[in-house]
Amino acid sequence: MVAVAETVKAVEALAAYEHGFVTDIEQEFAPKGLSEAVVRYISAKKEEPQWLLDWRLEAYARWLQLEEPSWAKVVYTPTDYDALHFYAAHAQKPGPKSLDEVDPEILATYAKLGIPLREQEVLAGVEGAAKYAVDAVFDSVSVVTTFKAELAKVGVLFMSFSEAVREHPELVRKYLGSVVPPSDNYYACLNSAVFSDGSFVYIPPGVKCPMELSTYFRINAQNTGQFERTLIIADKGAKVSYLEGCTAPQRDENQLHAAVVELIALDDAEIKYSTVQNWYPGDPETGKGGIYNFVTKRADCRGARSKVSWTQVETGSAVTWKYPSCILKGDGSVGEFYSIAITNGRQQADTGTKMIHLGANTRSRIISKGISAGRSANTYRGQVTAHPKAHGARNFTQCDSLLIGKTAAAHTVPYIEARNGSAQFEHEATTTRLSEDQLFYAQQRGLSQEEAVQLLVGGFVKEVLQELPMEFAVEAQKLVAISLEGSVG
Amino acid sequence: MSLHPNPLQFAAGLTRGAPLPSRRHEAWKYSDLLRVLRELPPGSPAAEPSGQGPFAGLADLALVFVNGRGPEAATLGGVTAVRFISDATGTAHESRLRLRVPEGVSATLLESYEGHGSAYFANTLLEIALEPGARLERIVLADEPETAVSVSTADVRLSTGASYAQTVLTSGARLQRLETHVRHPGAGAAVRLDGVYVLAGARHADLTTAVDHEGETGTTSQLTKGAVRDTARGVFQGRITVRKGADGTDARMGHHALILSDRAEVDAKPELEIWADDVSCAHGNTVGSLDQDALFYARARGMDEATAKALLTEAFLGEVLDRMEHDGARELARAWLQERLQ
Repeated sequence: MVAVAETVKAVEALAAYEHGFVTDIEQEFAPKGLSEAVVRYISAKKEEPQWLLDWRLEAYARWLQLEEPSWAKVVYTPTDYDALHFYAAHAQKPGPKSLDEVDPEILATYAKLGIPLREQEVLAGVEGAAKYAVDAVFDSVSVVTTFKAELAKVGVLFMSFSEAVREHPELVRKYLGSVVPPSDNYYACLNSAVFSDGSFVYIPPGVKCPMELSTYFRINAQNTGQFERTLIIADKGAKVSYLEGCTAPQRDENQLHAAVVELIALDDAEIKYSTVQNWYPGDPETGKGGIYNFVTKRADCRGARSKVSWTQVETGSAVTWKYPSCILKGDGSVGEFYSIAITNGRQQADTGTKMIHLGANTRSRIISKGISAGRSANTYRGQVTAHPKAHGARNFTQCDSLLIGKTAAAHTVPYIEARNGSAQFEHEATTTRLSEDQLFYAQQRGLSQEEAVQLLVGGFVKEVLQELPMEFAVEAQKLVAISLEGSVG
Repeated sequence: MSLHPNPLQFAAGLTRGAPLPSRRHEAWKYSDLLRVLRELPPGSPAAEPSGQGPFAGLADLALVFVNGRGPEAATLGGVTAVRFISDATGTAHESRLRLRVPEGVSATLLESYEGHGSAYFANTLLEIALEPGARLERIVLADEPETAVSVSTADVRLSTGASYAQTVLTSGARLQRLETHVRHPGAGAAVRLDGVYVLAGARHADLTTAVDHEGETGTTSQLTKGAVRDTARGVFQGRITVRKGADGTDARMGHHALILSDRAEVDAKPELEIWADDVSCAHGNTVGSLDQDALFYARARGMDEATAKALLTEAFLGEVLDRMEHDGARELARAWLQERLQ
């Protein structure tokens, strides 16, 4: 029994949120609360053109008409929008030219997170390891983007959203809001009014992006909402792999994260978008603090034979509300969704995908692995729709839930809508608990209980982890293990 | 005529004065009652029963409702037929019946929805209680005109050790919803919930079920299959809830549909809501067209296309009928299916 108690102690220590530190830097806030004046303030701060300010103001006017959605299987204290800063920037002149101009405190923060901002660090890594460019977003503002010069050589544009508005307004104006219109939903509308920064990617026709692109988001300041906006365009025949990672410090109050991600794939283009989400999940006992992650992610497979693949590893946030989707418009386009969603403590996740088949011979594939432990609740919500003109549409969905412990909950809510005679949809779902027999077997072979759980869970999520770029797969695997520490016993 | 206020229909908004449920209500997402009804029509007049009903000769006792008028309650034993007859045009009526299966008794319920006239709205509520160790097989056959709007809700409560089996057979209506709620106490109680829909023209059928596992070691087995053609629309919504503490629950749900024409539609929402950990739950859902290889094989053996399609569809749907226990009803169901597939 002593050994057990010791293990529990050790596990408790481990389970403390690793990224729960606060960086002390000078910051500049918008006044608390949301009003037209705040929207104008943000736009002015970013020296935006009139068209973008008008776009924001229209979104704000619409947001006032919308109601916060309540259909998700999550319960939480509503956000007090009047107590929130809608903009927080580290106090320094905008647009750092090089890393030397970036606040060393911020760089130290990223170093703690293990983000290789400096190219040389990456290059100094294992020989032959793939390079990846990073756009780092600290609270609401993009801090630095690496490898820009090298990417520019092949015509790839990778920069902060604000920079893109300044340098490529025609591209931004053409595509912004074309996948997720401002009035799409409550949080997307809010984001459209107050988004601060994010990443912008454009891959020109026929170009295969020479390295992984990545964004790291971190919420640092207290009472701040983070509203970033990501826009990725893969022109005809282009190919890109993109990864985002997220962390936030430990707080007593819930912080709001309401991002919008829009992906556009033209003819024969391919986008792979991977997320490792590790926002602060709140106190495991009381559920206090933690991030509200209310995110709208959607891909428009506009071109024929285009392909978008979403992979997500969701381990953080107090409340998650997220459905990365594909509009399969182009004939023969392909949408994929691979997801691992882990909830522990008091976390709640309502996440899944939508595959909307509009074009002929479009295909989609959904693999979702949900794990609930502690007193958490994990819901898979997914929609697969074939419109009357989507002849030959195909979908395969596999959706498995694993329960660890008597107080966890797992729900599955799929919507399957076939509106023509040649659509072929298959959907399978299972809910089981972690097998006692398998645990016993692994422990008999000398593994500790924690190791045994990790081994079995590792097997359960393997199919999805394989879809991640290699460097991140390793990180994600560790994250899966950390998230479940203290869940058995 | 008054529409009875009762918890279930009240929840669905089916009460005079309250707004009718529409696709804005999650539970009615695929069956927009408001769109087809706008408002509740005036009450239906009294009428005389016609014919003997589809189950004539199979039952020991028949309970007859015409335009909402019939008995209030009955105790089941042996084979009982319940006929809900609508003989109305442009009017509305509501039927409500309480049924009880006493402790240890095995019973069969042969329930028919027989529609005459047109454009009526029928709203039916059955409250069925199974006492400890009771067994009930409920077979529902709905045959209503293509202009009718019909909603039937069964609220089934099982006691420990009871067993409940259900097969719903329908060819739809303008909008038809056959909804079943089962309160499952676990403790050795067993539930089977099956359905078959065969829809043509512009018909719509909605088979909605909700099983609530409240206690340990309960089992539920569900199989619904359908075939739709022309511009018909089939809807399947199934929810299995396993409450906290309902360990050892074993629940399986399957829904499989064939779309036989280009403009027909199938919508499915198979839900699992699990609050206990020691469970084994699964659902499968497939929607598609007939297997082209099998069709080719049948055609190569000299069968014309219509016959080949009917044969393959019959084989596909027949799996559900094989699970029926009452021999006479099963034979009747086969004949009904063949007729629908002609």
